[in-house]
Amino acid sequence: MHLTREQEKMLQGEYGWATAKAMEIIIKVGEAMGAEELVEIVHAHISGISYSTIGKYGAEFIRDIVLRGGKVRVFTTVNPGCIDYSGLSHVIDNSLIEYQRLIDEPLREAGVKPVYTCIPYFYRAPLPGEHLAWGESSAVVFANSIYGGFTNREGGPVALAAALTGYTYKAGLQLLENRVGVIEVKVNARTLSMPIGALGLWMGECVKATPFIRGLRNTQLDYLKNMLASAAASGNHALVIVDGFTPRDTFRLELTERIEPEVEVLEDYLGDECTGSRVLGYLGCPHTSPWELLLITRFVKRYGKPKRGKLLVTIPAEFTRIYRDLVLELKAMGVDIASGTCPVVSQFKEKFDCVLTNSGKALFYLRRIHRVRVKLASVREIVKHLSGV
Amino acid sequence: MYRGEVKPIIPGFCRGEVTLVDGYISFFGEVSPDRGCLSTLENKCFNGKVLVFKGTRGSTVAPYVIYALRRNNTAPVCILVAEVEPMLIVGCVIAEIPLFVVKDYEGLVKNIHVINNSGYLEVRGSELLLYRRV
Repeated sequence: MHLTREQEKMLQGEYGWATAKAMEIIIKVGEAMGAEELVEIVHAHISGISYSTIGKYGAEFIRDIVLRGGKVRVFTTVNPGCIDYSGLSHVIDNSLIEYQRLIDEPLREAGVKPVYTCIPYFYRAPLPGEHLAWGESSAVVFANSIYGGFTNREGGPVALAAALTGYTYKAGLQLLENRVGVIEVKVNARTLSMPIGALGLWMGECVKATPFIRGLRNTQLDYLKNMLASAAASGNHALVIVDGFTPRDTFRLELTERIEPEVEVLEDYLGDECTGSRVLGYLGCPHTSPWELLLITRFVKRYGKPKRGKLLVTIPAEFTRIYRDLVLELKAMGVDIASGTCPVVSQFKEKFDCVLTNSGKALFYLRRIHRVRVKLASVREIVKHLSGV
Repeated sequence: MYRGEVKPIIPGFCRGEVTLVDGYISFFGEVSPDRGCLSTLENKCFNGKVLVFKGTRGSTVAPYVIYALRRNNTAPVCILVAEVEPMLIVGCVIAEIPLFVVKDYEGLVKNIHVINNSGYLEVRGSELLLYRRV
């Protein structure tokens, strides 16, 4: 591995133990991935900071790194934790609050911006060609595919190490030569009429090489966010080239195959039959954008309060302050709001028979984590179902 | 004595009694960091020994469990594997456990079986030495 003088100094401990350890992580992982040099990043996003996922050992590691002098060198954001930071929710279990603090406090001390969200691009949208080191699969695929930022899926403590050094290894999607669309996926109008999470889940499972999607030019960003997150959950996609969205010169095309998914195929990805009396409607995976929040408010106003079950909406931590009026309005209409968390990384207070959601990613994980039945539906259908219209 | 070749990923001191787990380990869920033992396979312990196994099953929590082994003084002296993946590397870097990839894994496993799973293993540079216990 070729290192600059500054990187060499970091590795040798001139910037402290924590930076040296972080540099060693980046270099060793980079060598295993075939990197020959490191690249400077502008934004790190750390995932895997929920106490309910990483437990006391993860908390200990993060605390030790910060106690021994770890400070972030670039703009750094964090993923959701396992508690509702607003304290408004009656659905999310906040009993781990003292334990989550063991992770949050050292992170803040290290200089991380405490956004607790899986949509870090809301805080700083990457520019085409910028190098990033992001964890959180849904954010990674969105940054690569929609903004044309360059990032790999930096799992576990790699994103933290990149934040502490300001560098990551130059391999995989950090190189233009690896950002190549191979399989053309044509989306027709019939397919688009289905919940878009199903298309994402199908793509993650059935399209193994990097897809190039046609037919989504008039789709809203929030739908794309949902589809890309679903594809990244059921498969390993970190880049999906979307015709009309992915910026020029951030990818190449070498198409070898063409697929047009039919409605009948996607129906297998719509989830389970929703039976039982304890129903939860869940929106906000990945976290809602302001526009989605507005849309949900409109639908709840139009169709009425949720009566046949609870409706949970998860938002970035700061939204409770920035969009206070909307949040309070939704709260007044009986909608449950949780900020800075989501059911994928936290626990429910009560048991549910079935979850209705618009997100393919939520379907994929909630089945495995909470062992509930999950069904995909559109936002409008979910609100209508819960209101009993 | 058996000689083999290894590729050092994280070089360092590697000498001790050998513990073989011929399969894939998920550090999260299958390893007890308090005792330095595997909770699944007949309670095999690797605390203070040379741990040889095929590879890891990915969980991004794995690095933290490996770090906990170091913190609890239950870590193996070093780790030898057939296949290496990023999360194992990260774990071994933060826990300061030397890590090597064995070139002829099957050959090493066969020889460990020959000496009834009780031998000493040593790594010198990129050479691996396996002794029978006397």
